[in-house]
Order: sequence, then structure tokens, then C-alpha cells
Amino acid sequence: MGKILRRVMMVGGFITPPSIPMDWTWRQMATEAFWGAIKNAGVAVKDVDLVACNYNDRAIADSSPGPQIAEALGIIPKPVVPIANACAGNGIASYVAWNAIASGRCDIVVSMGFARSDNYDAMEAMNTQGNYVDFDFMMGMTHINYGSMRDAYYRRKYDVPLTAAGQWAYECNWYARRNPLAANYNKPMPVLEELCADTPDADRDRQATNRGGVASAMVFVGEELAKNFTDKPALFDVAYAFRPPYIGNFFNYPVESMKDYDLAELPGLMAASKEAFQIAGIEKKDIDLVQVHDLTAYEGMMAIEAIGICELGKSKEYVLSGGMTLESKCPINTYGGGPAFGHGSAGSDFQAGVIENFLQVRGEAGERQVKGATVGVNTSYGTHHSLDVVGVVQKGW
Amino acid sequence: MSEQFTDQFVRWDTFSSALWYRTKAGRYRLEGTRCTHCDTKFFPPRTGLICPVCHERAMEPYQCAQTGEVVTMALDDVGFPAIGYGDNMPRIQAIVKLDDGIHLMVDLIQVADPSEVQPGTRVKMVLRKHKREDTGAWVYGYGFVIDR
Repeated sequence: MGKILRRVMMVGGFITPPSIPMDWTWRQMATEAFWGAIKNAGVAVKDVDLVACNYNDRAIADSSPGPQIAEALGIIPKPVVPIANACAGNGIASYVAWNAIASGRCDIVVSMGFARSDNYDAMEAMNTQGNYVDFDFMMGMTHINYGSMRDAYYRRKYDVPLTAAGQWAYECNWYARRNPLAANYNKPMPVLEELCADTPDADRDRQATNRGGVASAMVFVGEELAKNFTDKPALFDVAYAFRPPYIGNFFNYPVESMKDYDLAELPGLMAASKEAFQIAGIEKKDIDLVQVHDLTAYEGMMAIEAIGICELGKSKEYVLSGGMTLESKCPINTYGGGPAFGHGSAGSDFQAGVIENFLQVRGEAGERQVKGATVGVNTSYGTHHSLDVVGVVQKGW
Repeated sequence: MSEQFTDQFVRWDTFSSALWYRTKAGRYRLEGTRCTHCDTKFFPPRTGLICPVCHERAMEPYQCAQTGEVVTMALDDVGFPAIGYGDNMPRIQAIVKLDDGIHLMVDLIQVADPSEVQPGTRVKMVLRKHKREDTGAWVYGYGFVIDR
């Protein structure tokens, strides 16, 4: 690891609400998030040095998206780093922002993402995503099939009961009823027993709900500048790691850090969290709360195992014993998680967790506030965990 | 729609015949690659790529084992199936560990009852007709059947 020249502070964040207008273009969505974040932070458009922006590469037909995004945001001739790396790509945008500030090259950087998924006939186009297309999608294996296979294998390997997955979804929904930004905010609370049922409907309800189009943005500045914008800045650190994308290669891939794991574990997330915790100077015992990006309840359970909240295969006990709740020593998914906050795809799947932790360490999370929260961790993934990102937000004042 | 082409074509994107051509050895006969430096075997093939184990660039074609056993399986019944499979739905899909240790995700075909397939079930590769490519031509490739 190289020398980090200065710490990175988060001073603002914004995410578009669920069900944004159908007639908004991706440009409007991206601008809404950017505008909301810089207004939240008290930053002027002219003072932004750089934007790193993830997008869903099937959601826009425009090639060379960098200048198109810069033009929409009104920052030309300032640069935009365009990133197309699936759902967790907005985590990579924050990684770009972090590096630009930590190195001293830039003072104010906006990290963002947008997903206007209904620009295409969603599911058939989505079906390639996260796959090694030549030998799976082209052979009839889709994005959805990957997820089903992983969940089935994880359940079987670690004997995970449906009740644990149902409880996971239930707790996510409990938090979502207390988060106005969540897709399920105004919906009736589900019945726990129904969430635990062995039916296709229950299986669907244990999976992520869709937010529709979504965009998010976060504003980062050098540590010495943070107090110019807010009295309550948050320290931010981030790391990410890869794993080979072909699903067969999730089994005992012959690289040292992965050869002992298979489809039921997330070694990429283990590697990313190790680096993120090191950079942030924290240990597992320091973590007050965790947000994970979970398209299915099982995936969320795998994620909290990978970052060390519980041992491999033991998250079922953690969830069933109340580990996700506000009474726990480390509550999980206070933002509502995939099942209830909703899937933001390239627009927000990483940044939604960061923004929640930002609110939590500032004491601004309302009814879902974790008492005394000073360190929040969040995870996100793309391409079925062949890309894993971990963020750490700490009280910075 | 012509009676000759009753299945819906995959028209949302422009996968070309050239793409199918490039992958034919892997699709038709499970040809992967082997690193001549460290002997690690790979599928999908890594022709021309760097070995992630020894970091040399010395791949050669390798014929993967064509028999193996089921590791796990799932029904493709959660909606949004791949287009082109018509009456074969819901398909039974499986992770198969070949006898040389390589893992694949495959279609299990000619299975009357999904309960016939369990972890450890022996399977063997067959060449099968999969679906139509964008040009309307049929795509052939590997599938697996129970090795009775």
C-alpha cells in the first residue's frame, strides 16, 4: 500500500426518492442527485474539481458518457470519470473520488451513480449482467439463474432455514417503515410467517424490491476543508476486490485467497473488508452498525459473514437471535436493505449504504437511529460478487 | 411469424455469428485451456490470457473431462427465463464438478422428475441443440444427462 497523504471527509449525500417521474431522462436523474448532494453539502458547482460517475451500461446508448455527464451537470471543462461496473460501480466511483482527494490532486470531488433501467426492455437485457457471457448467458444461464443457484447452494451447505431468510426480510421491512427514502416506506408491514413460507411469493418477498430509476451522489473533500462545509463531517474510506466472474470459477479458484472457498462464501468481500478496515484504522469490534447490499436475504447473510460480523454459516443464528435489530450490539440494514429499501442498481446500491451510515454517525437517522453510532460499515457487490466494495464511515468531528 | 421460426428471436442486442464461431471449441466439446507452466486447468478457456496462478502466458488447449457429478442444482422457475427455450421450461440447471476438478454451470436435460437429481448424481456431457442465435441459426452446445 502506498502513502495516504490526507484523510477523506464526506460532507453531503443525496439519493433520489423511489418512483421518480417516468419522463425523467438519465440526464435529469443524474443532475437531480448531483444537485441535491452539493446543496446538501453547501458546495458550489464551480468548486467541484472532479466527478466520478457510475452508470448502467445498458441504460444509455450514448457513447463517451464522460463529456455527456459533465455537460448535464454544468461542470465543463472539468473532468468526469465514467465507470460502468454493475451495481457496485458507484462504490468504485467513490474509490476514484477517495483517491483523487487522498492524493492531494483534488479538493472537492463528487461520487455518483445513475440507473435508468427502463431505457431498455429490462429483464432480457439484464439477463447478461454479471455473467461470463460467452459460456453462460449464451448457453441460456442468466443473471437470475446465477442468484438462484447461489442461494440454493448456500442454504444446502450451511443448512440455513427459511425462517432465517424470512426474519432477515422482516427486519429490513421494519427499518424501511422508518426510512422515508425506502421503497417500502408507505407499504403495509409484511407478516413474518408469510415471509418464512416455502412458496414462490414468499421467495419473491425475500428478494430485493425495485426502486425503478435511481441516482445518488456524495460529496467528498480533503480533511482540512471539511469544517468549511459542515460541523459534522464524516471520515470515509473504501476498498474493493474482484473474483472471477464465471460461476464455475467460484469453486476453489486456484488463487491463494480463494482456493478454500466456493459459491457459499464471498472471498472478494473478505479481501475488500480487510483492506478497508486497515485503511480506516478500525477493527471488527469497533463497528456499530452495518448496511449490506442484499438482492436476496441469503446474500445479505453471506455478506455479514464475509466481513466478520459472524462466522461462516453462522449468520442464521445471528439473525434469528435479534442481531439485526436496534437492540443488537451491531444492527444490520437500518436503511431497509434490498428487500425493503430497494434495488438501486448502478445508481445507488453502494452509496445508499454510505448515505445511511453518514446519517447514523451524525445522529440524523430518526426512529432507526443506532444509539452512539460512530463507525458504520457498508458493503455492495456487482456481477454476483465478482466485484465487492466495502465502505467505512466514521464520526469525523 | 413464420412457422419455420416459431421461437422468439433474441433481438435486443446484436450478438453475431462471429461471436458464436469464436467459442465453438468450448461449446461443442468442452475445450478449455491448460497452463503449460504450472499445469493449472481452466474452463472457460483462457486462450491468450495470463495464468492467475503462475502469471505466465503459456496456455494450450485442454480437453476437459466429459463426466462428473452434480454439486448443486436449481429450477429455472423464478421468472424472466432466457429467451429461446420454448417448451423446455422450467429447465433444471446444475453446477457440475467434472472428474478433472473443473466446475461448470449447465442445463441438465432428459430429466423427467427434478427429484432424480441430487448432489453427487453422476452426469455426462452430450451435445444438444440449445436455442436460436440472432441470425435464426440454431445454437448447439454442451448439456448434461444423468449417467445411468
